[in-house]
Amino acid sequence: MLHHPSPTPFQLAVTVNGKLVEREVVTHLRLMDFLRDDLGLTGTKEVCGEGECGACTIIMDGQTVNSCLILAVEAQGREILTIEGLADMDALTQLQKAFEDHHAVQCGYCIPGMVLIGEKLLERTPQPTRAEIKYELSGNICRCTGYHKIVDAIENATDKHA
Amino acid sequence: MKYYCPKTLAEYFDLSKSIAAFDVSVIAGGTDLVPRYERGDHLPDYLIDLKHLSEINSIEVDDDSIKIGSLSTIQNIQDHSLIQEEFGALHSAAYDFAGAQIRHRGTIGGNICNASPAGDLLPPLYAFEAMLTLQGPAGERQIPIGEFILGPGATDLRVSELLTGVTLVRKGYQSLFQKVGLRQSMAISVLNLACVFEGKHQAPTHLRITAGAVAPTVVSLDAFCEAYKAAPGKLSELLGLIDEAISPIDDIRATANYRHTVLKNLIKEILKN
Repeated sequence: MLHHPSPTPFQLAVTVNGKLVEREVVTHLRLMDFLRDDLGLTGTKEVCGEGECGACTIIMDGQTVNSCLILAVEAQGREILTIEGLADMDALTQLQKAFEDHHAVQCGYCIPGMVLIGEKLLERTPQPTRAEIKYELSGNICRCTGYHKIVDAIENATDKHA
Repeated sequence: MKYYCPKTLAEYFDLSKSIAAFDVSVIAGGTDLVPRYERGDHLPDYLIDLKHLSEINSIEVDDDSIKIGSLSTIQNIQDHSLIQEEFGALHSAAYDFAGAQIRHRGTIGGNICNASPAGDLLPPLYAFEAMLTLQGPAGERQIPIGEFILGPGATDLRVSELLTGVTLVRKGYQSLFQKVGLRQSMAISVLNLACVFEGKHQAPTHLRITAGAVAPTVVSLDAFCEAYKAAPGKLSELLGLIDEAISPIDDIRATANYRHTVLKNLIKEILKN
């Protein structure tokens, strides 16, 4: 029997960075807010909040998505990887090391999204061209680096992946 | 806002009937809906998530046509080899669509039902004369896309009805898509166009050109195309027919005058080459 609704709780069960998380959320909560505020995973950033900038990029069921454009309830039963789940601080991925080596980070706010996009690209295309890298990064905005060093980092990491 | 996630169309229609007295919204990719909620739009009593309806989530091909399930994502369309080979304009529109993160979520059904004058999949779908399948509690109906979209954000979608599929007939035409924007990715189109043709550009036996963001809905430039097929040598004299067919506005992306000029120039370039 369905009743007239009011602001509604929902029992969410989602795997985040390899661990099953069960929490009560309200149905209109965004996935990004769930990750940042409920789970404290603040590596996922909010900038524009409308899918224009890519700072809130996460990987859900193997695909890069903007967590600001998804309700937490839509993640029910799914697997999420955030930047925190990619590697331990003392064992960075080849791509993360390449970002360091190429000084591809200035303020750093866009970098979690850039790294996750880069990791998925390299998984699919281990040695992408610069054009392929730029195409893949087109949903991620950086206001510091001018992009060249980010593209350099992804391009250089591919040699190590090969 | 209660959230439901039906697994079958039958379950969807049962649910929809049981909550018919309430304010109900459906969500597919959510790339337009979720930020609207965040900006303070009214939350419905019920939100029905369509993403688990596997019946409308595939792309099926037979000898004569291709039927694209409405839940197909922009990425599914971009990756489909037959769409790339036979419906190049639709493939190109998907390729240029926003960024990877949005292509992974946004759906063809959402792009149609949103009915944005600038929606990038729409000019190709109009140019290929897409036929939409709608399923409601009372049964199924078919309607051409041009009759379904009524204005900005307005469609002929009836209560409890779902857009379930988009059918394109395989005619072997060549096609192309072009958009003008501040950048190729992400930026909403200043204008976009699709051209579907058979034979050489200079003397086509079939020609259909459709343009978006130059009127409240996508415009099919039929009078211009017919006149051009009859007299391809008179292209310059015929461009006025394009001006007559469109009614662009001045907005934050461009002026009406700019859109008139650019659309004519693009079409001139396409037909000369």
